[in-house]
Amino acid sequence: MSITWNDSVPIYRQLRERVVAMILDGALNEGDPLPSVRQVAADFQINPLTVSKAYQELVDDQLVEKRRGLGMFVTDGAREALLKSERERFLREEWPTLYARLQRLGLDLKTLMREAAQDTENHS
Amino acid sequence: MNAVITASGLSKRYKNAVALDNVSFDIQPGRIVGLIGPNGAGKTTALKALLGLTDFQGHLSVLGLDPRTQRDKLMEQVCFIADVAVLPRWIRVREAVDFVANVHPRFNRAKCEAFLARTKLTPDQRVRQMSKGMIVQLHLALVMAIDARILVLDEPTLGLDILYRKQFYQSLLEEYFDDNKTIIVTTHQVEEIEHILTDLMFIRDGRIVLDTDMEAVGERFAEVLVSADMAATARQLNPLDERQVFGKSIFLFDGIDHARLQALGEIRRPSVSDLFVATMKGTYA
Repeated sequence: MSITWNDSVPIYRQLRERVVAMILDGALNEGDPLPSVRQVAADFQINPLTVSKAYQELVDDQLVEKRRGLGMFVTDGAREALLKSERERFLREEWPTLYARLQRLGLDLKTLMREAAQDTENHS
Repeated sequence: MNAVITASGLSKRYKNAVALDNVSFDIQPGRIVGLIGPNGAGKTTALKALLGLTDFQGHLSVLGLDPRTQRDKLMEQVCFIADVAVLPRWIRVREAVDFVANVHPRFNRAKCEAFLARTKLTPDQRVRQMSKGMIVQLHLALVMAIDARILVLDEPTLGLDILYRKQFYQSLLEEYFDDNKTIIVTTHQVEEIEHILTDLMFIRDGRIVLDTDMEAVGERFAEVLVSADMAATARQLNPLDERQVFGKSIFLFDGIDHARLQALGEIRRPSVSDLFVATMKGTYA
């Protein structure tokens, strides 16, 4: 597999974000094992210390737990915890700018919801 | 942790040229070290010194041994793959396996055969019938089956196509490397190994001009995309390098606080090849 890394963010953070996205998308479920450090290092051609560092951050955030001799597993409640922190982050970091922009453009809630409903219809 | 390799004041002079000029460095276990330098910078001489293949002045300890006087003992723990094919052209796969099994006390035949089973090599095949990529596969299978503590790779993927090159590093990471092993690699294909490395050494004119772990590279060096109106300010911070793209300048800085650089423009971590080009400026001039 070939992926391109973004030069402005350390690779271990990008790897961490990938795992987080996989948990949020349900590609990794609670209790699922993460691929081994060795496997990820070989697949992405990155050094194992980078992978360990990404995994360690996930452990520190209690999204992943180390089971001795077995490897890393997604913890129970990881998805819920992530949703909570991601929602908080959205409200704190993204919503104020988004809200300001909506205000500037004069878009109200009713219009937005109507657009969203139409969009869903078109897709189904 | 104790360094597996310690060099201090290492020098080597050939008749007309200095290949190593008072070089000092340490290498820790469990690292993958890239030794990068232009042609003729002294890379191969440094590796030869580590392997006890050349005489030198100064102090060098590899796994606590002196490569000049304790080479036999050292060779039990150190493996080597060079770009120069060392396997005799007449040898068959099974003869090569038998040979290493006989001479090397730490060779694991079953492991070697498992590696070979995943290639298209057959036991009766001779080296002369193999492509360059297949020869490297055989060499790698022999070397990865040896439980050595140091693996030295001198341009291991030179002349290989992209499939073989990828597979080479993938095998090393998946089936060979661990915390107790140390890999030292020289290559001109820096982009290929840049994320694999844990440490980086640049060598130029026989001197080590950069010796850092990869994590520190991102903290120490920064590339900043600066628009024309800020370029003069950027130049005052003594950039290592400056190049132009689309009416903007890309500056490479060493050791400037990132908070200060943020004011100039967008910051990126420089690639090893950009760093290399900036560091080696004027080498052939």
